[in-house]
Amino acid sequence: MFLPAGSQDQIGEKLNNQAHVNQMFRTVVQRRDYKAIETPVVEYAETFTNPHVGMDFSKLLKWFDREGEIEVLRPDWTTAIARALMKQHRSQLKWFYQGSIFRQDKNGIESRQAGIEIIRTDALLGEMESLFTAVDFLSTLSIDNYMIELGHTGIFEYLTTPLELDEKEEGLLRSAMHDKKKDVVYRLVLEKGHEEIAEQLVTLTQAFGGISVLDDYMEKWQDVHELKEIVCLLKKLFNALEELGDIDVTVDLGRVRQLPYYSGTMFRGYLTNSGEICFSGGRYDKLYKQFNQNISAVGLAFDVDQLAKIIEPQLEAKRLCIVASPNTHIKAEKMRRDYPECRVDIQYEVPQVGEYDQIINLANEVTG
Amino acid sequence: MKPVIALTKGRLEKQFLSFFASLGYDIDPLTEKGRKLRVETDEFAFIFAKGPDVTTYVQYGIADLGIVGGDILAEIQPDVYDLLPLPFGQCRMAVATEKGKSWSNQKKYIASKYTAITKAFFKDKGESVEIIKLEGSVELAPILGLADAIVDIVETGTTLKENGLVIDEEFMEFSARLIANRSSLKIKRKQLNPIIEKLQQKENE
Repeated sequence: MFLPAGSQDQIGEKLNNQAHVNQMFRTVVQRRDYKAIETPVVEYAETFTNPHVGMDFSKLLKWFDREGEIEVLRPDWTTAIARALMKQHRSQLKWFYQGSIFRQDKNGIESRQAGIEIIRTDALLGEMESLFTAVDFLSTLSIDNYMIELGHTGIFEYLTTPLELDEKEEGLLRSAMHDKKKDVVYRLVLEKGHEEIAEQLVTLTQAFGGISVLDDYMEKWQDVHELKEIVCLLKKLFNALEELGDIDVTVDLGRVRQLPYYSGTMFRGYLTNSGEICFSGGRYDKLYKQFNQNISAVGLAFDVDQLAKIIEPQLEAKRLCIVASPNTHIKAEKMRRDYPECRVDIQYEVPQVGEYDQIINLANEVTG
Repeated sequence: MKPVIALTKGRLEKQFLSFFASLGYDIDPLTEKGRKLRVETDEFAFIFAKGPDVTTYVQYGIADLGIVGGDILAEIQPDVYDLLPLPFGQCRMAVATEKGKSWSNQKKYIASKYTAITKAFFKDKGESVEIIKLEGSVELAPILGLADAIVDIVETGTTLKENGLVIDEEFMEFSARLIANRSSLKIKRKQLNPIIEKLQQKENE
């Protein structure tokens, strides 16, 4: 019997590590006063593919229900939670979730996530809280080889507004920016007759790095209020992270959003040894516009699979075997309570030497 | 750890090496590699692979940078940074058929190694075609009656001519390109920026 491409069994140490990551996440977010939320695994495709969300339909795992509606396995937590939160009490601001999402991409079909959503909060407070929670959680897992990248959707949006792009043109330009394909960015913008903007966008594809990038652009955009505000915000977050601890922070001013609902700061955590992304998120106020809500929303999701791969294997408890007989099985069962720190197994046969760390033999005891 | 560069074996490899030498890099270990698929110079580690595999090695972070044809990138669309065109490996994509071929009104059969590009091209034209995937020597397909036409890259047009084919339509132009792994470009930026800038300066000259 085979598994479909992209599916896999989880066993042993990998599962232990995943459980540890999830357990630590729960501890950290509950300590920070988040409340748990879970949405169903099966939802309507429309929830994720409508123009406000804009997920790629071809990557969803989908089927028709009896009424001919298209249902999907949950491809994204943030969208599902936004739908669910519209029915929740307004006083709760901070939420956390843990579970799988299902999409057909290079990571396979199922990936396990743990994440936070912060709504109706002051914008800067929410963004700082998201990033600080990421730092707190990674530190709890003893992970220190990581780099946090900051970006902002507003830069591309502001610079391309004068181009009056139609949907197709915008898609092509956004995709070329996403790929840092300078020659195509230049050509597409030049075709719209804006050489200066073409040059600005090409320069932006290379505007990634440390604090000097923000300093340079602060000077460059000192007379452009909207862009200067964005650089100021990124600088605040950058400095806050540096002040919090010895954290490697970087910015990419040429980064563009990949989903229509992102609308402001974007963050991403890279594991510096493997290059894998261990968390990503950002601001997505626009997501709530579909419910006619004008609220602040920000959050991020950790990739539990990636974190489980790099944490130290969890030390397993000592293995103890109580050898019993049908007559002494109840005594053996009661004896478990005396060894709360051990993994206690009960057998009727004496096991091989070395199979357990300790063996207690009750097999020949006589019970009253 | 040295930056890893994945090179497309064959024609592009030779063109890249002479381009690389013109930038002042020592290419002796690369020209004297024999059949080795992994070679180190003082500054870089190189791996040699087929074009589509170069994109895979870069996408998965085994290689930090890659040199690959724009035709392969257009066909596969890997999740990598597609940084810049390089001044070699120029070619164009074309529809070609037998000289004097008269098109019937039936649905056409098109043979190609580039099925995604072919599909997008005919979809854009609003024409339904059947695409037959071939791995190479696609010029044979119309001659042997497997297909009505082919979609393939053309450099000089000699192969087409020698096999009795003519270009019906040209629709895309390519060159070799420099690609980068999305994480490497950020994490190893201090190591990678100098070589990227050097390749770019030469391109702009």
